[in-house]
Amino acid sequence: MTVSCDVLIVGGGPAGLSAAAGLAAAGLTVTLVDEQPELGGQYYRRPSPATLREHGDHRPEGGRLIAHVRNLGVDCRTGHLVWGMEDDGRTLLATGADGTPIRLRGRYVIVATGAYERTHPFPGWQLPGVTTPGFAQHLAAADGTPVGDRVLVAGSGPFLLPVACSLLDAGAHVVGIAEAGHPYRPDLRAVPTLRHPARLRELAGYAARLARARVPLWQGRVVTHAAGQDRVSSVTLAATDDPARPLRTLDVDALCVGYGFRPQTDLARLLGCEISSDAVTGDAEPVTDVFGRTSRPGVYVVGEAAGIGGVHQARTRGSMAAAHILVRERNSSAPGPREIARLAAKGRALTRFTALSDALYPSPARLQEALVGSLNDDTIVCRCEAVTAGAVRSAAVERAGGDLNATKSWSRAGMGPCQGRFCGFAIAGLVRGASDPGGAPCGVPVFPARQPVRPVPVETLLALGDQADLAGEGAG
Amino acid sequence: MSALTADVVVIGAGVLGGAAAFHLARGGHRVIVLERGAPGREGSGTTAGNLHVQAVHTRRPGQEIPLDSARFLPLQRAASDRWNSVEAELETSVELRRSGGFTIAETPEQRAELIAKHAWEERAGIETEVLDGDGARAALPQLGPTVTAATWCPLDGYANPLLTTPAYLAAAARHGARLYPFCPVRAVERSGSGWRVTTGELTVEAPHVVDVAGPWLGEIAALAGIGLRMTPVAIQMHVTVRLPETLRHLVQHIGEGLSVKQVTAGNLLIGGGWPALRLDPDGRSPVSLSSVLGNVAQAARVLPFVRDLRLLRTWAGPLAATPDEMPVIGEVPGAPGFLIAGGTYAFTFAPLWGETLRCLVEGKPTPVDVHDLGPDRLMEPAEPATPIEQAR
Amino acid sequence: MSTDTRITIDGEPVDAAVGTSLTAVFVAGRRWRLRDNPVSGEPRGPFCGMGVCFECEVTVDGRPGVRACLTRVLPGMTVETGPRR
Repeated sequence: MTVSCDVLIVGGGPAGLSAAAGLAAAGLTVTLVDEQPELGGQYYRRPSPATLREHGDHRPEGGRLIAHVRNLGVDCRTGHLVWGMEDDGRTLLATGADGTPIRLRGRYVIVATGAYERTHPFPGWQLPGVTTPGFAQHLAAADGTPVGDRVLVAGSGPFLLPVACSLLDAGAHVVGIAEAGHPYRPDLRAVPTLRHPARLRELAGYAARLARARVPLWQGRVVTHAAGQDRVSSVTLAATDDPARPLRTLDVDALCVGYGFRPQTDLARLLGCEISSDAVTGDAEPVTDVFGRTSRPGVYVVGEAAGIGGVHQARTRGSMAAAHILVRERNSSAPGPREIARLAAKGRALTRFTALSDALYPSPARLQEALVGSLNDDTIVCRCEAVTAGAVRSAAVERAGGDLNATKSWSRAGMGPCQGRFCGFAIAGLVRGASDPGGAPCGVPVFPARQPVRPVPVETLLALGDQADLAGEGAG
Repeated sequence: MSALTADVVVIGAGVLGGAAAFHLARGGHRVIVLERGAPGREGSGTTAGNLHVQAVHTRRPGQEIPLDSARFLPLQRAASDRWNSVEAELETSVELRRSGGFTIAETPEQRAELIAKHAWEERAGIETEVLDGDGARAALPQLGPTVTAATWCPLDGYANPLLTTPAYLAAAARHGARLYPFCPVRAVERSGSGWRVTTGELTVEAPHVVDVAGPWLGEIAALAGIGLRMTPVAIQMHVTVRLPETLRHLVQHIGEGLSVKQVTAGNLLIGGGWPALRLDPDGRSPVSLSSVLGNVAQAARVLPFVRDLRLLRTWAGPLAATPDEMPVIGEVPGAPGFLIAGGTYAFTFAPLWGETLRCLVEGKPTPVDVHDLGPDRLMEPAEPATPIEQAR
Repeated sequence: MSTDTRITIDGEPVDAAVGTSLTAVFVAGRRWRLRDNPVSGEPRGPFCGMGVCFECEVTVDGRPGVRACLTRVLPGMTVETGPRR
């Protein structure tokens, strides 16, 4: 089956929904595709029916936006994974949960594929019970289920605070929060008194809640080890600047560890959008302008996929892309210059805020370098293929001449089903550290994006091939 | 800028460059290997590593001239024999496996081709056995109902390409060869009776140049003022998720581009020469969806269990193909000391060509007769070579 | 959390709420070991909760390779964990 529309939007989170709303309200035909079973993305993730009945909606504005988009007649295709592209470089391929393929053609394409969590390998990170903070957040907020009874929240960034609060709400005992930097001087109670932009008030609210619950906060601390049999049972913390020396061991039954977010760019890269490397985060990001335009005509990247900026930035970017398309289409509902200037100013203000907020926390690139550099050789870095740091280092030095992709070939690191999403950056750091210590990172440290961007059933490919044959016969 | 001297400059650190460097260095020659990027990362790092001993399918998808199997088979036989001593010579495992392989037919024409092929193989001294469809399925129950005949060759196998090239380069280094990775060659000029090869940083003077630059073979020759009609392409590989050991033998198709094997890690590797969207000589060639669909559909038809798997990864790698699909090896007429080697199935031929190149440099008889495989048939009079971007 | 259906996990009946994430059912039931890594044989459980890590793949109603984190509970569904392809 082929779906044709004016605008194809991949990703039904805040950015994709905002773009869809702006475009559909102006009368354009919009198809919105998302891999998740429901719209909302990670931020506006919908509560389960039971949670909704018993606890209500934790993000009602998300529910309203989704309802608005549906009411506008947007063709919403949830549960559909976009994994590939036709040879025309334009038609995208998706698969439903049952394996049925569809071809998606939009005159414009908006990539709003969001972000995933920034993780760093450490010994034991592959144990069951070690999760990302985002997973704990979804379990607690959307499904009312605490990730464990005794939970340590660790990593870096503002997101750790709402996650800890959600865990308290869900009935977990939060044994503490370990933050790699020193953003909350001297402690959580200090946050409300800081002179920060209005949006930090939200953070202050979480901080106050955690202070009331007497959740310990350790700053300048990182997780360096997790231990357990079939599930994590203890976690070791060390100082961020001295990860080799253990300082504290905690008994837990769950560990939620993450260092913020990184853009999910594989689809943008598959589409051939130009990519550059962000100096602060070390992440590969599509090159975009304020409207989300990329190096490919008619292809926009918005929201977290264009660079981490938070939900408000994501919504603004979605609206900006919609505005740009409407202007190009000479649509009667196209916003005037004043409205566009207002949106752009809002976007710039949000970017300044993000920079200010980011500055409180350690630079992801530098943190990664420190944590990866100190990894023992026997630490598993590629979860899927169970490849150790030592194997990556020796492949990099002895065989790959410091080349990232060659290291992948020779070590198998990054070759599994997640295709290097969780280990790619650590592998890049290991390769650099082993082959050119102190050297500047060269190029964009990611593996090339190739289809399928996620594993795809052979049956889906066969069905696609059959469709192509039929189309060919029809044309002949 | 430093000036070096050597007996032989090998351009390209792929499997052919590694094998040539090893045989030359072991023979006492001072060898310098220049590589534009990381060693073994192009065709030699992207090939499936199959060792085809029985006759290969005669056409890749898109290939215009079918392979001259009658001429090719004796070479293949010699190449196969040459692999037997590789691991001992290199003093390491390259995961050489003689797992045996099936070449299958589905149509009556393909069946006839199989029987003709079997006759050639007998003549070349390659042991194969012809099976009918049921016989083939009895021997390999994974084969599907469309298979009407097959030949079985116990010598077919594979080696791990990711081990082979590094092993050759390491063994060459033990014999004194020096490797310069990330040194793209910028100029190749005559210098007295020999050659001067210049990279960004190095200048090397040597009486012999061995151009084994794979898809860049023609470009390097063009630097030396030699016009060669090479037809480099990028071909695709498709790999499924891991599965328990299911397929112990190589399976290929007599009439279509299809080869399937299960690698040690458990993934199924599906290839057969399907073309990528285009050859990108400066990066990774983009994968063509039509080739993915075509190749995977064949595999699922011939081996129905493939239908239940998931495709995990795809990639494309370059192939230094010649217009007649036959290997090219020899000294360039009019350019004494300038030797080239390349062509399809370079991986299978690498050990044999490494030794042959040494003999050619030394002016000694070669292990197999290669007089008709020389570059003269590919030479373009006077015209400079087409830049690689436009060669497709 | 109230439940309104009964599903089967590895042959055992489990009460669950329709529309809940399948990973939440596992976590609530302390079923963390969903698979063994094919290389190391180590136990693995859900990690990212958003479809990226592939650590929560299970078999649902006979269909292997289903990411539990992208799956919502349906009445009467049958789930099998354990080492998968």
